[in-house]
Amino acid sequence: MQPLRSLLSGLSLAVFIAGGIAHAAPDGGELYVEHCGACHQMEGQGGIGLPLLNAKLADVSDDYLRSTIRLGRPGRVMPSFMRMSDAQVDAIVKFLRERSGTEPIEFSKDRIAGDVANGKTLYREHCAKCHAADGSGEGEGTGVTLSRERSFLVMPASICNPGFLASAPDQMIQRVVSVGRKSSGMPAFGKGKLSESEINDVVAYVRSFERRERAVESLDAEERPTHVYESPNDFDTTVANVKASLTGANFRIFPDRLVEQGLIDEFSVNSRQIGVRFCNFNVLYGMLKIEPRLGVVLPCRITILERKDGQVILVVPNLRVVSRWFNNDELVNLWDRVEETFTEIIDEATL
Amino acid sequence: MSTKLTRALLLAATLLFAGGSGAENMIMGRVPMRAETVIEYVKSSIEEHGYTVAHIQLCDGGMTDFGYKSDLYRVVFFGKIGEVRMISERYPELVSYLPLKIAVIAEKDETLLAVLNPEALAPFFPDEELQIQFGRWNSDLLSILKDVRRGIAGHVAANE
Repeated sequence: MQPLRSLLSGLSLAVFIAGGIAHAAPDGGELYVEHCGACHQMEGQGGIGLPLLNAKLADVSDDYLRSTIRLGRPGRVMPSFMRMSDAQVDAIVKFLRERSGTEPIEFSKDRIAGDVANGKTLYREHCAKCHAADGSGEGEGTGVTLSRERSFLVMPASICNPGFLASAPDQMIQRVVSVGRKSSGMPAFGKGKLSESEINDVVAYVRSFERRERAVESLDAEERPTHVYESPNDFDTTVANVKASLTGANFRIFPDRLVEQGLIDEFSVNSRQIGVRFCNFNVLYGMLKIEPRLGVVLPCRITILERKDGQVILVVPNLRVVSRWFNNDELVNLWDRVEETFTEIIDEATL
Repeated sequence: MSTKLTRALLLAATLLFAGGSGAENMIMGRVPMRAETVIEYVKSSIEEHGYTVAHIQLCDGGMTDFGYKSDLYRVVFFGKIGEVRMISERYPELVSYLPLKIAVIAEKDETLLAVLNPEALAPFFPDEELQIQFGRWNSDLLSILKDVRRGIAGHVAANE
């Protein structure tokens, strides 16, 4: 019985400690630094994420902030924090309120009736220039420009995003359209530009985005994070073929790098495992505008391994899987096409 | 203690202590220091966690060479030779994700650090040995970034 007693006392201790953690009031500032600061910056200036400026916080309700944290923005970098406790979410919202010195605006959840067809016409005339015809936000990427030149300083919000639409009640959208948002350059349309009825029509049209499907193809259940191909050739021929194929596809090839290189002395390194690294800088530059965190999977690499039995294999990341880890639909749609290029390169190299 | 009971206890403890935010596919951190200096903190923290820095990829250098303007953008590769050999031998499918890497991205006077969470791979590899490995990498990466943040916060405080 001794082991069982130890187990139970250990478990009791675990429950006791965990209970203590669960009941300690969460620190909103610490949670912000841990979960939000990387993208929104410590003072909320924005970066990969949109700015959380005081003027913006003064325009929204606490429910909107809570819901935004919970749901995120599917396909737009901002993750969903569904596993946070209510107390943690409340602590972040409280921290944002205290830091900004703002009071929340409460909005009724009542829907606003409007003429969707007229709203569409008005939207195309007044809103599409920044928010795009489909509401996804014009320009490449999200957030604020910091490292690379882009078409907008602050990327216009995606107002067709299901996370936004589930968080923002009609009354809030109506107010933003009416009074604008100086902090992000959104003009006010309520001062003689559009009548109250016309603004309601725009709100009704924006709400109609809810019925749209996300324009991202779902993955097949059997898709793996890498593709493994057997080469019909020996190691050296395979490496040469891969390089020739990459050159033909207009990629620049970096100097050879062995998989173990740098991890062990040069005499002990396995020279029959090589990563052929390659890049098209023009394409990369464009991709970094869409997804600044791309470095976590750079550079592009085809790994060639000679197994103990002499079989040579090529291991290539499956871009369709990898791109979906970024929660960035622009990247997903782009990489679904690049994946086809990679497949052609491998086909050519393993003929 | 039987293996089953040990596992039950470990599982219970894991569930009880699991962080509120859960596993994200990307681990990120921001530090209030220029990227050139942050890289030194990153290298030092990686080595203190028992890993070897294999090399640093100069993505910004490549872009600049081709005429594109770019702030500092580098990728630090690191690993443990034993782990890399074990993975390439037994799980070659995973070799694309090794060595591990941390992207160091300059954002004016601040630096963003980003890492692919190895646990993003976990759903594809139910093998218990790999699940433990992914968990260990995840824990090490979090600790590396935490130590970088702490070290830089100390440096900033000392210079104020």
